[in-house]
Amino acid sequence: MAEGSNYDYLFKVVLIGDSGVGKSNLLSRFTRNEFNLDSKSTIGVEFATRTINVDGKTVKAQIWDTAGQERYRAITSAYYRGAVGALLVYDIAKHATYANVTRWLKELRDHADANIVIMLVGNKSDLKHLRAVPTEEAKTFATENELSFIETSALDASNVESAFQTILTDIYRIVSSKTLEQSSDPIKAPTSDTIPVAIDSAAPASGSKCC
Amino acid sequence: MVVGDFDPDESEQTHSNKPAPPSTLKPDVDKIVNDPFVSIHKSTEPEANNPPKAVRSASPSDSAKLMRERSIRTNRRLRFIECLRKDDINIAELRKLAWAGTPSTLRPVVWPLLLGYLPLAAPARSATLTRKREEYRSLVELAFKKERQGLDQQIWHQIEIDVPRTRPGTRLWMQEHTQRSLERILYVWAIRHPASGYVQGINDLVTPFFQVFLSAYIDSDPEQFDAALLPENVRDAVEADSFWCLSRLLDGIQDNYIATQPGIQRSVKRMAELVARIDAPLYAHLESESVEFMQFAFRWMNCLLMREISVQNTIRMWDTYLAEGTDAFSQFHLYVCSAFLVKWSEKLRKMDFQGIIMFLQSPPTQDWDDHEIEMLLSEAFVLNSIWHNAQSHFGAK
Ligand SMILES: Nc1nc2c(ncn2[C@@H]2O[C@H](COP(=O)(O)OP(=O)(O)OP(=O)(O)O)[C@@H](O)[C@H]2O)c(=O)[nH]1
Ligand SMILES: [Mg+2]
Repeated sequence: MAEGSNYDYLFKVVLIGDSGVGKSNLLSRFTRNEFNLDSKSTIGVEFATRTINVDGKTVKAQIWDTAGQERYRAITSAYYRGAVGALLVYDIAKHATYANVTRWLKELRDHADANIVIMLVGNKSDLKHLRAVPTEEAKTFATENELSFIETSALDASNVESAFQTILTDIYRIVSSKTLEQSSDPIKAPTSDTIPVAIDSAAPASGSKCC
Repeated sequence: MVVGDFDPDESEQTHSNKPAPPSTLKPDVDKIVNDPFVSIHKSTEPEANNPPKAVRSASPSDSAKLMRERSIRTNRRLRFIECLRKDDINIAELRKLAWAGTPSTLRPVVWPLLLGYLPLAAPARSATLTRKREEYRSLVELAFKKERQGLDQQIWHQIEIDVPRTRPGTRLWMQEHTQRSLERILYVWAIRHPASGYVQGINDLVTPFFQVFLSAYIDSDPEQFDAALLPENVRDAVEADSFWCLSRLLDGIQDNYIATQPGIQRSVKRMAELVARIDAPLYAHLESESVEFMQFAFRWMNCLLMREISVQNTIRMWDTYLAEGTDAFSQFHLYVCSAFLVKWSEKLRKMDFQGIIMFLQSPPTQDWDDHEIEMLLSEAFVLNSIWHNAQSHFGAK
């Protein structure tokens, strides 16, 4: 399993949002290019990874897909710790899932690192005839709350790649600029290559990109 | 219903690449509804259907073994029937028999007896069934009398999302009739248990009961059954019996589903303590890779391993759990989960964090046969007998 060590950065990202908005399908679309109309509900958390290229660097995303049901909140919020990014997903065809975004933001404030990068994701953009949340409204909300914003469809794959690419790039930019600021410090290698990079203690992972 | 790549785990398992087999209703369903014991009173012939899938094409050298196995099965079946024919069933004897597995045609009577849903005394059975089914029917009427607006929206909303995601790809569960039954069972249970309400995963737990009860009335595979063929009274009976048996099962593990899920937290913690003792090298490795038991064992507790093994395997597993008593779904289950983990010890000790998590969240156990489940159960039995009393001592760690 040495496959895990060929990267420059390792970022832990969480997928959160109401049950049924399509978090698991976004993840399977991004990591395996799969979509399932009748996927099973997520119990607790599920984990997947994918490595992408950002500004010439190899960035590995370690993604935790969480269960949306309220009852699991106690379990899932433990996974926010150490996450440098969060995709907060709602369903563009179900207004209630958008209305709940505020509650999810509070969850993040309560349990995640203060400078976690958050992206608001309106999923199921293929359901045009059922749209209940106008794009502009969500965009404005995102700007007001300093979130980036994108609409995706796990079904037809539109913007899925772009959503992950954007948040990982944002994280990378923050992390690498911090590393520059602190360039007098010696670059610390994490003790284990599976420990995610936290924004506060930003440092490139000890990727074994030898010769 | 799948776009893109298909996840081959569940639906294909029993009938790979064959068209759906015909659905056949038993001729005497109306008798069975009123007295599930009819088949037991008249049956002496050995079980003809359900040959174990492993022995489909046996070589000549295997045939002696096959005959022996068949005669063991016939014998076991006769002992069950003898036990079940008594006017007052000896529950201890029934538990002992069921622990080692219940013949599939007898499950529809053995499970409710073990759960205390069917009375042990023969004369009381018919009346009890009628009363409980009637009671369920009025619970349903009460719950749904105010149409949709009268429903508890939060509970109903989650059930609506989960019903189509229950056993996706399996014919029985993709049908309108079955989905409406599942919806009613889940909703009525949830509003009767406000401390937990409906929690995702409980939907999975309905399916073994429903399939077992359905199997009493049909001669074909329940998972492939065309539910539209069921007469209404039979469907109602299957639904009501499933509801009451589910309720009894959940009574024993309510703590798993109330706020903060303390039952699961406790079980996972005890499981970790147990694994530290029975497989110290594995425990140490998990610790050094920063793998927490909660990260993989949460689901094992929440869905009773139903996401990891097939429904057929689950049903066999529940023969043993029900024989142990409803406690088994929290107590014995934790030994089963521990045995399930240490089974992969050697493999896991060579993996890193990511490898371990990925492996344990989809272990290669979806097409286990009964034999592998029985091995697991006996390993758990051994662990249980060695450690059960000891656990109270190391709980104070
Ligand atoms: N039309 C459409 N349907 C989608 C899309 N993404 C997901 N779905 C469907 O929405 C349902 C729920 O998707 P999941 O990915 O399981 O939702 P989830 O957010 O992971 O739900 P929980 O695990 O319960 O929290 C499934 O039936 C999916 O097929 C999409 O982009 N378009
Ligand atoms: Mg999910």
